[in-house]
Amino acid sequence: MGELLHISPILASILVMLLPLFAFIIQASLGEKATSGNISLIAILISFILSATIVLPGIWNKPPQYNTYDWFTIGTKTFTIGILLNNLTVLMQLVVCLIAVPVHIYSRAYMKGDPGIARYWTFLSLFCFAMLGLTISKNLLMLYIFWELVGFASYLLIGFWYTRDAATAANKKAFIINRVGDIGFLIGIACLYSLFGTLDIIEILGEGGLFSQGIVDQQSSLMTLAGLGFFLGAMAKSAQFPLHIWLPDAMEGPTSVSSLIHAATMVAAGVFLLSTLFPLFNDTVLLFIAIIGTITALMAAYFALEQHDIKKVLAYSTISQLGYMMVAIGIGAWDAAMFHLTTHAFFKCLLFLGAGAVIHEMNTIKKHDCQTIDPQDLRNMGGLRKYMPKTFILMSIASFALAGFPLTSGFLSKDAIIISSFEWAIHQGGLYHIIPIVLVVVSILTAFYIGRLIFKTFFGELRINTTANSLLHEAPKTMLWPMFFLGIGCLFFCFSPSPISYHLAPILDGFSVTYSFSEVHSLHIIIPVTLTLTALISWWIAYRWYVLDQHPVHSYNLDIEQNSNRKVAVFDFIPYHLANSLIIFSRWNYHFDKYIIDGSVNAIVKFTLRTSQIASWIDTYIVDAIVIGISNLSKRIANFSAWFDKYIIDGLVNTIAQTTYYFGHLLRWVQNGRLQNYLGFALTMVLIGIIYLILR
Amino acid sequence: MGVLSFLIFSPLVAAVLIAVLPSSLRQSYKYIALVFTLIQLIVSGWLYGQFDNTASGINTADGFQYVEQVPWIHLSLGSLGQLEIDYFLGIDGISMPLLVLSAFVMLMAIGASWNIEKNLKGYFALIMLLNMAVMGIFCALDFFLFYIFYEVMLLPLYFLIGIWGGANREYAAIKFFIYTLFGSVFMLLVIVGLYFSVINPNTGAHTFNMLYMMDPSHYVDGSFFAWFNNYNEVLGIPARLLGFIVLFLAFAIKVPIVPLHTWLPDAHVEAPTPISIILAGILLKIGGYGIVRVCVSIFPDAVTYSNWWLGLIGVVSILYGAFNALAQKDLKRMIAYSSISHMGFVVLGIASLTVEGISGALFQMISHGFLSASLFFLVGVLYDRVHDRNIYNFRGLASLMPKFTVFISLAFFASLGLPGFSAFIGEAFVIIGAFNAESVGSGLPRWMAIAGSVGILLSAAYFLWTLQRMFFGQTRLKGGEEWALVLEKDINWRERIVIIPALALALILGVMPFLFFDKLNSSVVHLVSIVSQYL
Repeated sequence: MGELLHISPILASILVMLLPLFAFIIQASLGEKATSGNISLIAILISFILSATIVLPGIWNKPPQYNTYDWFTIGTKTFTIGILLNNLTVLMQLVVCLIAVPVHIYSRAYMKGDPGIARYWTFLSLFCFAMLGLTISKNLLMLYIFWELVGFASYLLIGFWYTRDAATAANKKAFIINRVGDIGFLIGIACLYSLFGTLDIIEILGEGGLFSQGIVDQQSSLMTLAGLGFFLGAMAKSAQFPLHIWLPDAMEGPTSVSSLIHAATMVAAGVFLLSTLFPLFNDTVLLFIAIIGTITALMAAYFALEQHDIKKVLAYSTISQLGYMMVAIGIGAWDAAMFHLTTHAFFKCLLFLGAGAVIHEMNTIKKHDCQTIDPQDLRNMGGLRKYMPKTFILMSIASFALAGFPLTSGFLSKDAIIISSFEWAIHQGGLYHIIPIVLVVVSILTAFYIGRLIFKTFFGELRINTTANSLLHEAPKTMLWPMFFLGIGCLFFCFSPSPISYHLAPILDGFSVTYSFSEVHSLHIIIPVTLTLTALISWWIAYRWYVLDQHPVHSYNLDIEQNSNRKVAVFDFIPYHLANSLIIFSRWNYHFDKYIIDGSVNAIVKFTLRTSQIASWIDTYIVDAIVIGISNLSKRIANFSAWFDKYIIDGLVNTIAQTTYYFGHLLRWVQNGRLQNYLGFALTMVLIGIIYLILR
Repeated sequence: MGVLSFLIFSPLVAAVLIAVLPSSLRQSYKYIALVFTLIQLIVSGWLYGQFDNTASGINTADGFQYVEQVPWIHLSLGSLGQLEIDYFLGIDGISMPLLVLSAFVMLMAIGASWNIEKNLKGYFALIMLLNMAVMGIFCALDFFLFYIFYEVMLLPLYFLIGIWGGANREYAAIKFFIYTLFGSVFMLLVIVGLYFSVINPNTGAHTFNMLYMMDPSHYVDGSFFAWFNNYNEVLGIPARLLGFIVLFLAFAIKVPIVPLHTWLPDAHVEAPTPISIILAGILLKIGGYGIVRVCVSIFPDAVTYSNWWLGLIGVVSILYGAFNALAQKDLKRMIAYSSISHMGFVVLGIASLTVEGISGALFQMISHGFLSASLFFLVGVLYDRVHDRNIYNFRGLASLMPKFTVFISLAFFASLGLPGFSAFIGEAFVIIGAFNAESVGSGLPRWMAIAGSVGILLSAAYFLWTLQRMFFGQTRLKGGEEWALVLEKDINWRERIVIIPALALALILGVMPFLFFDKLNSSVVHLVSIVSQYL
């Protein structure tokens, strides 16, 4: 088709990026009038078609193409912007389009009737522009610009319902935490600029680029600083521990936004960035990335276990899966990270869209009965399978993919990461084994919490009393079709011809990364089997607990109350303690997250505020007080000198003057014009003279 | 008469015109001011377009453009020789953008003065006088002429704050005046010292010509500020370093740096909106301009010696200003402190002595000119309606004034360095330049760049927090229904005409920074090559 239209992939990819920008500009200038969202939808649809028919076929497994345009010159250094098309960037761009299109369609139904709908489309198009631009940036400065712009769009969309206090608190938190990462990114850029004198990715990392010439020592501290800086950026964007705290809060935004931005695309930008810059990272940085990724995956999976808010479960799940991707990058298998990013985008987006449909129905109940229930609370749901069977099936497929069951896409990508990590650990030896083992544990937990979510939502009976049963119905077609599309994307054949071996996946093939470790063949059988079995067991436990209501903690409590009919104790002993310890641990973990991590962030915030108050106090009472003091002192001195002037200097002058005057006055009395007085004086003076002469 | 003289003195004509017109025509004063500033903006914009990007300026008279040089005061002083003061104007890449900025901000200020009612004649005449002085400062190349314009600038400002200001205006006006005068008095001493140290090679007379002061060969051996073999000391400080410090402090008060900044919040809070716009948009830039034009260019040896301290001052200003902004309850005060923080980037960038850092600093000045003027204008829009600025007295304004919220959000995000707007380029390149300084060997450690970047984070914190507190949430106003009725009148067309161009320019510069950097490059490269001889 590219030949038909005579559009080069470069031009097409620029169009892919710019179309949503045009949509944004048109939407913004039309203002409240454009509520249908057609403009945004058409733009993203054309973007998708261009990306799928021209850009990807023109680049995939072919030599990379790029174009550079001069942007501005500072001194003698010219900064460029450019388009970089290689397997990695075109894949990412297509993934963004693939997810954005169904979300746009879904939003037409989901956001219908919202008073701010015109604003919604405007922001959504802005986000798409920024995200698509991010994927194909050739220059790090340009990448940084789009990187912040997606954060800005995310800020606008999280706070879409700006009259809700929780939403505006959440978007502020998201932006500021992301700013922390941006500073890391900026410092990384500054490091690279100091080292290479350019920010062009091809000039630095391309074939025969500055990096491969070996002019820079990869182990130098500046390189480590650069790596850590970029990773800090990725940590904030991809919600890695301990900067993950903004993501659960970000669920205050509309669910369609959560599915696009906070599950599939923007949060994956960190993984994408690290994959792009992968050769820059030395072993220290990579190990750090792997460790942080592991911690994130484990903690977030635990947090997800005991969440009652359906969106929060999914948010923590996203964080956990992003942790997987980070581990993959840390062990050097960034192709596996990108593979998982792609599969995850589909099933997580679908889970969110399904959750949105469920929340929609729960809202119907809430409105009908005027209840004060939380429509997102899992504890209120149950039995929805009967009312929305299609949503149920689609969400189940997505959760199978998340749990990593065979025949799904998640199975392939998760295996790719876990097997590679085992191979890496075997290569490194010793304590490095902790990482893959933790990943297996996380996989078990993942299967459990997503099973719990499905069972609690769709099985059993509705847990609230309502008369609105008849009003509950399947989601409208506009919402179902996008979900259906994504549901297909959760299946294995979209990514690999073989349902069990990820090695045949074209995505992994396309990146052809050379690993530092060798393949261990036995793992390729043991791991998938183990993972599948443990996932099955997890689901079985979840089924028993949440559907059959044989929750060991519940039954134990019941037993105490009834003091009879106790179940087979030995059989329950292990699940009971397992469950109890899991729940306690999860709760403890959640508290840890809520009070320690969030608490320490709050402490930092408090500390900052405190510092600012101190600074303000210093400003008023010390710096300004010194100025005022100096001014007062000068006034005092002035007063004193005025007093001195008046009473001492002037006083002296006046005294002299007065004395002179007095004497003058005295003498004036002598000059009174009477002859006899004058003669008397004369006689007196003569007499004095005579006496003087006599006495001498 | 050259075009620069026209730029400088056309406001004076306007001032005279306003002064002689009878009070019955007082409604025409603002139109006179508007027309003259508009002409000024068009002329300076035309100059900007005609500007030759290759000319470097700084210390070579040939590198300056639109030069006008006529003898002004030439007196024979007998045994003291010849007194030589020239009327010497010229612009290079450093002053050219500032000239356009001044004309633009002046126009904004006139637009913001539309509803002034008290003593129109005095008000507009003083603003025009101020306009003349500011233009003169950016064009003057003779130090004596520069100083005259510098002092003339103070007078109208003092009255503008002291007469048309808020409740505590006399205090603020005096404080501002004394602070600035304090710096400039000592500056005069250094100017005289330089005068007696430098000789015009053509006439053999002492000279105030700044360009001669930048050339080591024109210094008299053994004179107080002599470039080489100078053993003069005052209180143990070498003479040239002392001269640099004194000049730096004089301009640093204007920037302002911490801890010489306390005039700024008071002056801003008390000043009427248009004067706040001029203060933030132009006056602070005179400080930065003076540091580059005078301190760095005349004393490059002292700059390389002391740039560690300059960097430290910059970092402290960035962080201290940001922390203070976070604690403010008065919106205008908050923005005043954010100005201190943002101007700290200018000092840090200059201190880096790298091309990127200095270019970033100059870019930041222009960007801050547009953005702080916009911010103060928007605060004025709110204050005009309810006469209150306390952040905690407002909540949920977005529902009442959606359009105003869009503008102020744009201005906030632009100021906190959102890419696409100009502040981002300025701050990013200051950070990159400061970080690069260690590689170039200018002695600025890397932690300063990192500490400076924390300021970017804090700026997000105070701007977003303000946005959240004042504009989001359910509407709740201290003034209740009464306020709500007034505030429902969203931003009007006159206010939009003022604010849209400013934000548009910030956007244009952010997307097309080459419009600015192209004018600047040869000058900055030349400046850095001069300074780096002394590294």
